[in-house]
Amino acid sequence: MKIGIPRALFFYHYYPLWESFFKDLGQEVVLSNPTNKQILKNGIEVAVDDACLPVKLFHGHVRDIAGRADVIFIPRIISIEPKKYICPKFLGLPDMIKHNLPDLPPVMDMTLNLYNTKLNILEHFFEIGKYLNKTRLEVMKAYYVSHKKFSSYKKHLRKYSVTPYEILTQKNIKTIKPDFTVLLLGHPYNLYDDFISMNLIKKLQKRNVKIITYEMLNEKKIVRGTKKLTKDMFWTLGNNILGCAYYLLENRKIDGIIHVASFGCGPDSLVGELLEHKVIRDYKIPFLYLTLDEHSGEAGFNTRLEAFIDILEGRKFSENNISSHG
Amino acid sequence: MRCSLGIDVGSVSTNLVLLDEKNNVIRTLYLSTAGRPIEVLMEGLKMLQDEFNDSLEIIAVGTTGSGRQLASVLVGADIIKNEITAHAVAALEEYPETQTILEIGGQDSKIIILKNKIVVDFAMNTVCAAGTGSFLDRQAQRLGIPIEEFGKMALKSSIPTRIAGRCAVFAESDMIHKQQMGHKVEDIIWGLCQALVRNYLANVAKGKEIRPLVLFQGGVAANSGIKKAFEEELGLNVIVPKHYNVMGAIGAAILAKKHIMQSGRKRTNFLGFNTTLRNYEVKAFECKGCPNSCEIIQIYGNERLMARWGDKCGKWSSSLAV
Repeated sequence: MKIGIPRALFFYHYYPLWESFFKDLGQEVVLSNPTNKQILKNGIEVAVDDACLPVKLFHGHVRDIAGRADVIFIPRIISIEPKKYICPKFLGLPDMIKHNLPDLPPVMDMTLNLYNTKLNILEHFFEIGKYLNKTRLEVMKAYYVSHKKFSSYKKHLRKYSVTPYEILTQKNIKTIKPDFTVLLLGHPYNLYDDFISMNLIKKLQKRNVKIITYEMLNEKKIVRGTKKLTKDMFWTLGNNILGCAYYLLENRKIDGIIHVASFGCGPDSLVGELLEHKVIRDYKIPFLYLTLDEHSGEAGFNTRLEAFIDILEGRKFSENNISSHG
Repeated sequence: MRCSLGIDVGSVSTNLVLLDEKNNVIRTLYLSTAGRPIEVLMEGLKMLQDEFNDSLEIIAVGTTGSGRQLASVLVGADIIKNEITAHAVAALEEYPETQTILEIGGQDSKIIILKNKIVVDFAMNTVCAAGTGSFLDRQAQRLGIPIEEFGKMALKSSIPTRIAGRCAVFAESDMIHKQQMGHKVEDIIWGLCQALVRNYLANVAKGKEIRPLVLFQGGVAANSGIKKAFEEELGLNVIVPKHYNVMGAIGAAILAKKHIMQSGRKRTNFLGFNTTLRNYEVKAFECKGCPNSCEIIQIYGNERLMARWGDKCGKWSSSLAV
């Protein structure tokens, strides 16, 4: 069977796992094309107005893949780690898609909810297996293989400090002798989509900036970072963003922080404020808040980015260099 | 006379500045962009050429503003700088003690925070252009008051009318409503100035620490009502520099000269007044390479391709070094 996976949202998190799992079960995986103007337009056209930009874009990717797949994989993601949730829009995503796009091929919308225990991931895959007429043993085997692959993929990101961007888009962004190290925060589906992020990663690379993302930190470090919060952050991605920022700031390993948020994102509006008002005020480090929206005004985006890099340069080369904690 | 030239092509105005070798301002031009950035820039250069004849030797050129790429190609710039850095550099040249710059232009408003003479933080208005020059222009026009008089009018008021400044559209309807209630025009204008300052502090400054010296620059700094409202709201003295409306261009000129000196290059890239005024042509086309259908802009000078941009993938722009 041809399983269609939209190149959006949790593709940027789970793709290595999904790909390996489906292939091991003898299925063919087809991906939607990288985001382009038409895909975004197709998404905005059918999505509800209140949806955030990434969800609108997801609609476009579903439309892009619809004609080329026998079934579309849109898992109902509720939680991807114990005691944390994912933004509620993911919970309703399969319904939203089926409602807004009535003429789709069948949708595989198996629930993924690890809120109570990580072991529930097996239930998720058993359900998928059932749909594909696979025995529990076959599913267990396929899961074992793909879980191992996924773990080593995540280890690879940490060990060699690569972003999922380089692996998923197969582009090399290694900077040799970088001038600055910048922590790039945001949801993976905003950061690693060149169209949506207006080539942010490439632009930073061009200015000889080394990028750190939360995928390069192991869980323990992120947890240690989140200890600085007065209260638990209940969204996984927000938690990763804040934990990563606190950890790296405490260990003084970065020259600046860029936070990328998409317009209309509920969790981001909160996480962004927390970052800007708490973290940055306490640590006095250059901070840039970039908002992405469907109008893609690149002039303002570039001006901000250029000015931000000027700040980094100013701090580094100025005669009256002030310490990053001054 | 050896001068450096700074050019700021903004949404509303196109500014040119000549600085002498000691960075003193020799001449400033503040021209309305009027949607024709190329023509206006050419006119500006012609005006400078006519005024100074051959006595002028340009040693460095810098461009800034949202049209900085375009301007750079047309004149041959040594440095292309974003507005934020350019404004900060110009402010520091005149007032080295500056710690805060409030900048309100045609469609942008910015705050720049400096410490020990370097920029440490900045913010720009995001989705809202309430309180920028274009909005004030429109209100002045609606009330039939020349924009030059707008600030002075505000100062005449003693009881400001409360205006909702959160959004340009609502502010306008609120103003109309207050007019219909019988409020005096000067009170409404003074109320508007206060509302815009409140909006700026809430949406642009967003709790950033504003410390003296505070400079107010950009076209809107001409409005004495806004200046007074800032002073009252901040409890600080707000300085409007002499060349407040061309600070970006001044910064670009200073940076260009510095760049030439530091890079050890002897010559500027400036194409010269005569060459710059040559025949240029803009040809646009839509790339059919992928569904992005980018609009590619090509600039030709004397029938030679000078620059190309507008593509997302870099296929066209990178095939030609700008």
